[in-house]
Amino acid sequence: MNAGEIVFLFIILATMCGAAMTLFSPSIVYALVGLVTAMFGVAGLYIYLNSPFLAMMQILIYVGAITVLIVFAIMLAGPLYRRPSEWTTRGKLGAALGVALISLLLFFRFVVETFPKYGAPRFVMGTKDIGRAFFNELMLPFELISLLIVVGILGAIMLAIFSRGRR
Amino acid sequence: MNYLLYDHLHVYLFVAIFLLFCGIAGVLYRRTLIGMLVSMELIMNGAGLNLAALNRFVSPENASGLAFTLIIMGIAAAEAALALSIIILIFRKYSHIEGGNLEEMKD
Repeated sequence: MNAGEIVFLFIILATMCGAAMTLFSPSIVYALVGLVTAMFGVAGLYIYLNSPFLAMMQILIYVGAITVLIVFAIMLAGPLYRRPSEWTTRGKLGAALGVALISLLLFFRFVVETFPKYGAPRFVMGTKDIGRAFFNELMLPFELISLLIVVGILGAIMLAIFSRGRR
Repeated sequence: MNYLLYDHLHVYLFVAIFLLFCGIAGVLYRRTLIGMLVSMELIMNGAGLNLAALNRFVSPENASGLAFTLIIMGIAAAEAALALSIIILIFRKYSHIEGGNLEEMKD
């Protein structure tokens, strides 16, 4: 086992611990910290997948933008001490874990039976190829994504303005 | 031939499945709307990792999976912005953000 594999195992461990912390932590702020850990771990996995541009975008968009947005929402949605308890009943925990475990097992079986076990072909797709893909065959989805983001931002602004005017 | 650990497809797919598992369980189990949204972001991360890993191992001659991962990131950003604005509206109106008590969105 060389150094790269040890770092890889550490990244996987950090990702899974972050995801579990997102699921099980009693406070929403700690859940957000776990989400950030999982996102950094996924960025590290992107680097191991030979796509550093994707890792940079992951850190920039997810960790940089969405997390700050969620933190603002947590701060705006009232003081923390008046927050109700974060979890639902114990029966719902059982139901949630059951549904999630069934999906986990089904997908695991599907994945193990479908895809080849070994084999890492050479992968030379860089940032330039992603840009080519976006501007050749994925032109319409690219433009639609920009339209979606503009409409989303305008909708958020509209919601804020009209709700304030009515009260 | 000796393959390294990070040359296996199954490792990445297992991490992606685990993220999806935690996300689904979190959406069902959390009570506040922000907790559900955080779990939803976890699901989106798992989907992106899945696409990138499959692109690298199954079809390495094009970059469609990476491009779709970027599209997923854009969709996640727009979705988070809209969902958080709606959550703040709900908080202003009802002064709580529990998902179970919201029966009607209008009026």
